[in-house]
Amino acid sequence: MSVRPSDFPPPWSPDEAIAAPSDPVDERIDVGICIVGAGPAGLAAAIRLGQLMEEDPATAEQLGDVPVAVLEKGKAPGSHLLSGAVVNPRGLQRLFKGRKRLDEMPFAGHVEAESVLFLTRSKALRIPTPPTMVNDRNYIVSLSRFGRWLAEEAESAGATVLPETVAESLLVDAGRVVGVRTGDRGRGRRGEELSNFEPGSDIAARVTILAEGTQGHLTSAALSHFGMAGEHPQVWALGVKEVWRVAKPLDRVIHTMGWPLRAGRKYREFGGSFIYPVGDDMVTIGMVVGLDYRDASLSVHDLLQELKTHPRIRRILDGGERLQWGAKTIPEGGFVALPKRFSAPGLLLCGDGVGLVNVPALKGIHYAIESGRLAAEAAWRSFARGASQRTVLSSYDDALRESFVWDDLREVRNMRQAFGRGFYIGGALASMQTATKGRFPAGDSPTERDAEQQLFTTSRASSYPAPDGKLTFDKLSSVFASGNRTRDDQPNHIRIQRRVPRELAEMWAHMCPAQVYEVGEADGDGTVEVRLAPSNCVQCGAITAKGGRLTPPEGGSGPEYTVT
Amino acid sequence: MAKTLVFLEHHEGAVQKGSLGVLAKVDGAHGVVIGSGVRSIADGLGTLVWSADDERLEAPLPQPRVDVIAKLVADEGYDTVLFAQSVLAADIAAGLAARLGAGLNWGLIDFDGEKGRAPQLQDTVVVEVGWTSPVRLGIFRAGSLDAVALSGTSEVRDAAVELEDFSTLAEMVEQAHAEQQGPSIEDADVIVAGGRGLGQPENFSLAEELAKALGGAVAATRAVVDAGWYPYSAQVGQTGKTVAPKLYIALGISGAIQHKVGMQGSNTIVAINKDPNAPIFEFSDLGVVGDLHAIVPKLTELVRAKRGS
Repeated sequence: MSVRPSDFPPPWSPDEAIAAPSDPVDERIDVGICIVGAGPAGLAAAIRLGQLMEEDPATAEQLGDVPVAVLEKGKAPGSHLLSGAVVNPRGLQRLFKGRKRLDEMPFAGHVEAESVLFLTRSKALRIPTPPTMVNDRNYIVSLSRFGRWLAEEAESAGATVLPETVAESLLVDAGRVVGVRTGDRGRGRRGEELSNFEPGSDIAARVTILAEGTQGHLTSAALSHFGMAGEHPQVWALGVKEVWRVAKPLDRVIHTMGWPLRAGRKYREFGGSFIYPVGDDMVTIGMVVGLDYRDASLSVHDLLQELKTHPRIRRILDGGERLQWGAKTIPEGGFVALPKRFSAPGLLLCGDGVGLVNVPALKGIHYAIESGRLAAEAAWRSFARGASQRTVLSSYDDALRESFVWDDLREVRNMRQAFGRGFYIGGALASMQTATKGRFPAGDSPTERDAEQQLFTTSRASSYPAPDGKLTFDKLSSVFASGNRTRDDQPNHIRIQRRVPRELAEMWAHMCPAQVYEVGEADGDGTVEVRLAPSNCVQCGAITAKGGRLTPPEGGSGPEYTVT
Repeated sequence: MAKTLVFLEHHEGAVQKGSLGVLAKVDGAHGVVIGSGVRSIADGLGTLVWSADDERLEAPLPQPRVDVIAKLVADEGYDTVLFAQSVLAADIAAGLAARLGAGLNWGLIDFDGEKGRAPQLQDTVVVEVGWTSPVRLGIFRAGSLDAVALSGTSEVRDAAVELEDFSTLAEMVEQAHAEQQGPSIEDADVIVAGGRGLGQPENFSLAEELAKALGGAVAATRAVVDAGWYPYSAQVGQTGKTVAPKLYIALGISGAIQHKVGMQGSNTIVAINKDPNAPIFEFSDLGVVGDLHAIVPKLTELVRAKRGS
């Protein structure tokens, strides 16, 4: 029997994240603009709004005591930010134009040299850098650290950043988004109210900007509620990375392809690794694999561990020490998976949440920043006297379509899809697309949802290296290294079917880098129970791509990244 | 040299083990007991102990205690106030920090009269912590200090009890405690902890019998608490309790780092596990590779025989 995760849909409906305002008017919290997510998109929006408030105090005055609120589910800004990352500074230059220079920003370095390597089990073959991947003039950052800096900038520009605050539902009244409701705190395992229970509150806002990042909880509900989803479904990749303190500095940015991924078309293993210097004494190393893979025994965490045993890579880490570990999904659908619209009444969407990621260039942070900036400007225009909010907010769509974000994404429109056809054919198709700036092959390649791929099982898992606690690590100690110390006695936030075919349960157990899923007792009918350890969850979002649904746990839960 | 005052938390007429540990830790530190009918508790600690004995201090509420300690700091010139971690201590320390504009360092394991030391980043490093405020407040981590028996006559002095109006507004409605037999896991000298290797929830009786024979308490790992085998209040580890008994016996516990950080301060760690590669053997003092279902009942029997019960 062949299993597809999508045949076992999670007990979840997007309507659960849409609600009418319920707090009495005098108990709700009134803000001018509510931004969900303190990542690059949300904080860029907050910073731009701060600039506009300074330029136009009369309009700012109308927005009340809290003109701009930024809700962040993590313990602190940056706690849930994880990326490579090599950043194209374009978005930052436009955001801080005339106010801050690049040399005043906390970059971890400049890209001095770069190599693209094709790996076999024991060899590393240097190949020419594909044009989309050239990183000349780009900067290396720890996004977690950079996010903390952006949050400070946003606060000094007049925004209120509220960490440990989950936006649990989107408040919709008469077809218009009027804010969000925050999650309850202090509920026990069965949902009961513990002694420290605090109910969530309605946050009423004139404009709500969703900048939730990958697998946005409210973003996906809004796309469905307002019928904004694009023609092609979104697909994701899972990235797992570690930050190491190293004995000798790394002198270049490295990307690898090939081993430990398999090239065969049936595997659909699209991905590679990145190894970046972070200053003189740290290196960040990550493995990224498309979640349209089919082998139930594939584990990105274990592939990363295997990658580190390659002689060329081991040399970089020799004498070093792992400092931090983390995981996150990346939207990879590109241009064809973008939503039809990016605005709805009272609502603007930006960043990774709507899939503004350039897969062949491995970049999205500058798009997140630019979309946040444009969203802030549209929100601001809607406050002008006599403006029709509906018309003005939809001008954000036009602004995004006229921006460099759009041009970039259109140029690489079908590249990710090509790799669904195997590494070599995909590579050839991608090259043709690069040469023709996306005009060839014509037409949009079809995409299947990640959860629709039929599973099979190989013996791949038996060749993952046994963790030695020095170079290679198991999942539990890695969760520890993410800083995760989530309260265990809170309700389960992961929606999946709990009794499924063994192959599906095993796929989840291997897929999850944080050891949330365990294959339990078998039933007579060939199904097994799926056991859950939800407090291990680092909220990477892979489960949502592969047949379940991640919902936000209590605010402040999850990893506490600082250098990822 | 610091002039240090230690808040001596007490329960049923005896000072808590943690508070005694803090008092013994800092040379020349003075203590303060606060409550109703508590003057006798101050005796036998071998140092100067303030006694704030007043009916209005009967209920263990924080604000009146903040008043008492703030006044002692002002009148007697204490520049350091230390606590052993507890819910009440945290409330008082926070109130005191606000009242005195004093800095509060949390989770200390050491204090040298000037600076403290505290584990950070989930116990992966120990950092030196200091204060910039004139008055220094510190809470020692639970179970971080060895239990000590203090002796010698105390010089007991009465502390003035002048309560602010706002401090008497709160009223204790009810004080309840979970029924349990034997010592709590924070106070026990011996802990027998069970993990997934017990096989099934019923087998916790093995741990319970052994704990009873040794006069200890039973603890559990997160995995078995998650699975509903044992209550959350018994969970030891990163997201449970931190313990440091004299003897920690781990039954069927693999020793994930999340568990280790909650019990690595134990004096002697004994592990029984059938998997010779279990990480717990890397940090146990005595490791037994074998079937706990066969070993533990015999061990319990031997302990009982030795103790003549």
